[in-house]
Amino acid sequence: MTPCLVSTGFFVLGRCGRPSVAGCAGCGRPICDRHVAPGGLCPECATAQGYGSPYDPFWTSGFRAHHYHSSASTYSDPTWYATFDDYDRGAFDPDDQGDFGESDFGDGDDRDFVDS
Amino acid sequence: MFWRKTRAAIAQFHPLHQALIWQHTLSATLPRAEWEALLASLSRHDALVRRRKWRLPARTESVLVPLIRVLCEDAGRGTVAIDADLRGHDVPGKASPPRELPVLRPVRSVREWWVRDPWLRARSELRDGGLLELSVTDHVRHRRVVKVNPRGKRKVKTKTKSVQRVQTTRSLAKNQAASQPGGPPPPWIQVKVRPGAKTVIRAGAKLPVPSERDQLPLIMTVATELFRWTRRTS
Repeated sequence: MTPCLVSTGFFVLGRCGRPSVAGCAGCGRPICDRHVAPGGLCPECATAQGYGSPYDPFWTSGFRAHHYHSSASTYSDPTWYATFDDYDRGAFDPDDQGDFGESDFGDGDDRDFVDS
Repeated sequence: MFWRKTRAAIAQFHPLHQALIWQHTLSATLPRAEWEALLASLSRHDALVRRRKWRLPARTESVLVPLIRVLCEDAGRGTVAIDADLRGHDVPGKASPPRELPVLRPVRSVREWWVRDPWLRARSELRDGGLLELSVTDHVRHRRVVKVNPRGKRKVKTKTKSVQRVQTTRSLAKNQAASQPGGPPPPWIQVKVRPGAKTVIRAGAKLPVPSERDQLPLIMTVATELFRWTRRTS
């Protein structure tokens, strides 16, 4: 059995862990029947398509990522956003198509960057 | 009777939804599934109710609905209690008796009174065995100043100053460990920790009353401090 890897909770984070029925069409992670959003997406990928209304049951996923990102800045605590793993953060980067390999971050040639 | 169809639509709403429309208050302790039913009812409001007099009170869609969603996410099988009074500041019973302040000429009198509006309280049983409580209270100071100039012209000026207190408390589950975060919270957030078998962490802030749009982020930012003391391990 492959467990559902969707993050649940807002402050008390955890994994769903129910038996998965499909893979997310966006990031490929296994998802259970409760967490399949329209289009076969996981909640994170579904909310990354556009911020919905709080009446949407999956709205919390998008707001959670936004809140963790902004509160890490407010608290000057970059490790707070690191509470999320690559799956949780990755859905909000539309360019990487859910791939978090090292190659996506360039070949290490940083000659174009200058110190400010 | 006017608005007959709208009245009939409102009669079909969730009882707590109806209380929000008629009394502008919401007070209930419910499990997650019941709150979901209320949110489903609230989501139909704008489509069925067009009359301005019966629209949902301010802070319902911007604060109350998102907060219910967030609290239910962490509640698991526990219950979530919410006591919201969205009637505003100008309701009898919220104002203190006025008092006269000492004055110097040309001021003839200064009358001061305070309005204390504890408009939101919530309590949630967390799925890790802990307990989260939060409260938001607006404090508004009113002053009515009467002045008379040398020619006898009388001027009356009313001033108000508003602050908001956000208090959050988290009681950890029995014997759950808490460790101090790496850095302090922002200086406007005060934290107190009472260690013991059931550690209690309190975080609070006193700020000018924020705009409706910034209200939820403020509450969430204060509550965040409580959860920095216990990080996810898996």
